[in-house]
Amino acid sequence: MARMKFYCDAERCIECNGCVTACKNENEVPWGVNRRRVVTIKDGEPGERSLSVACMHCSDAPCAAVCPVDCFYTTNDGIVLHDKDICIGCGYCFYACPFGAPQFPSDAAFASRGKMDKCTFCAGGPQVTHSSEEYTKYGANRVAEGKLPLCAEMCATKALLAGDADVLADIYRKRVVNRGASVMNWGVQYKKAGIDG
Amino acid sequence: MATENRNKSGRIRKIVLFCVFSLLFVVTVPLIPYAIDAYAVAGNKASVEKVAALEHPAINLWNDVRQRNGRTQGLTQVQGVDSGVLINKAGEDWRRFRIEQLVPYGAWFMGGIFGAIVVYYLLKGTQMMPGGSTGVRIPRTSLNQRTAHWFTAGVFWLLAVTGLILLYGRFVLIPILGPEGFAATASACKEMHNLFGPLFVLAVVAMFVLFIKGNMFNFGDLKWFAKGGGMFGGHVSAGKFNAGEKTWFWLVMIFGTALCVSGLILVVAALGFGRETLSLSHMVHGISAVLLIAVSFGHIYLGTIGVEGTLDSMTTGSVDAAWAKAHHDQWYAEMTNDSDAVEAADQEQDSGLVEGGVAKPEAGT
Repeated sequence: MARMKFYCDAERCIECNGCVTACKNENEVPWGVNRRRVVTIKDGEPGERSLSVACMHCSDAPCAAVCPVDCFYTTNDGIVLHDKDICIGCGYCFYACPFGAPQFPSDAAFASRGKMDKCTFCAGGPQVTHSSEEYTKYGANRVAEGKLPLCAEMCATKALLAGDADVLADIYRKRVVNRGASVMNWGVQYKKAGIDG
Repeated sequence: MATENRNKSGRIRKIVLFCVFSLLFVVTVPLIPYAIDAYAVAGNKASVEKVAALEHPAINLWNDVRQRNGRTQGLTQVQGVDSGVLINKAGEDWRRFRIEQLVPYGAWFMGGIFGAIVVYYLLKGTQMMPGGSTGVRIPRTSLNQRTAHWFTAGVFWLLAVTGLILLYGRFVLIPILGPEGFAATASACKEMHNLFGPLFVLAVVAMFVLFIKGNMFNFGDLKWFAKGGGMFGGHVSAGKFNAGEKTWFWLVMIFGTALCVSGLILVVAALGFGRETLSLSHMVHGISAVLLIAVSFGHIYLGTIGVEGTLDSMTTGSVDAAWAKAHHDQWYAEMTNDSDAVEAADQEQDSGLVEGGVAKPEAGT
């Protein structure tokens, strides 16, 4: 059984925000909601790195643990999804999530939180697959079509990878071997990089 | 007359016992899933480990970000709350607090206090007025004070019930109502809690203004504490409010203020408070709420079935002279010396007191 994961290679991400745009367009997410964002650390300083962040589809998801109405579920592919018909917009998942994935449209009365919205790994939601209801609430269901999330598919530098954790691990291992350096530690040693990467 | 009284008090006791046990049931039910969970953990351990063994390629990367005291605050093009924060370190602390401490310890604490009160009541029963009712009334609370009290009580219980449903509903109500049914309940509770919550600020302010007089601690209160408030017998001297009532007043003031401040932050979260502020507010809110709910059991017990005659001060606004003499002797002395009306009434009932003194021991036995 596959376990779907995202991986963002900090040595490759150029902070183009293509993934953010692709996600917004593919899923038609509401104004003010960004399922994916690119964070740049040490902007303009030596050692600057960018990472594209969205829901990481945790195996032991903190959001699911704290949800007072238990609206989260994990698919057979290891994708963490939630049911917007059950969500009450309390925001607990946002407090608990390490990655800041849960988003809340704030157009409800008294500026209270609306129903939570987050990255679905382009796998829709609990509604009938490819129904208009599913699309309105959760966005595209590319996984059902045998496709990967559009953010990763659109990534120009192939920094953002999405897919089975084992496959991603292999790709990443090859890259590290070819680069001869570990990420976030020694920096990139391009001179030592292999040619078959 | 005596048998009638006995039948009546027996029926009241039956009703009270029924209420007590049904409430006890409600309080203990949330604990059952923990027992089941602890039992099931042993069996599930193997499969959980198997899943965890699949290492995410990003684990090292994120651990680097998180554990090497690296900078987690960055820049991003996306506008939003904390959107520049790469990893939210406070999240795990908050989650562990809520799941591992607030939920189980809160249930044990509230259930424990409740159970202790039930045991105390079953052992001691209602504390009757010594010598029985005299029929002489001494004014104790003003209409404003009573209004503020019941307003506070109403808002407090509305918020307590909706809050407890949000805290324990996942474990108790989902099995009963189903996920969709509970979602509707929880959504209503959340909206009520958020909309009526700000009223509690008014309640705390009103309580402070109207009840601060007489609620300052003095040396006599140490004696009251030393004697356990007369819980184990013996007479304790007190002014208008005894040390227990003063403690309750100050608990409501301190933790009520904490609830108001943290609650208002949580209500207007959309104004852009960060997650660290919000999760800290939530911790303060949870601890204060559980504490006040648990202590309020004691307050309600003493105000209703615990001590005969106490409820009058919050319904009619006046109390029986015998009650005042027994529980607030210093205040009783003040009232009887200062007020001519009470003194006159006192003399008037002197003859009646003799009859009452004879009649009551029968009813008491």
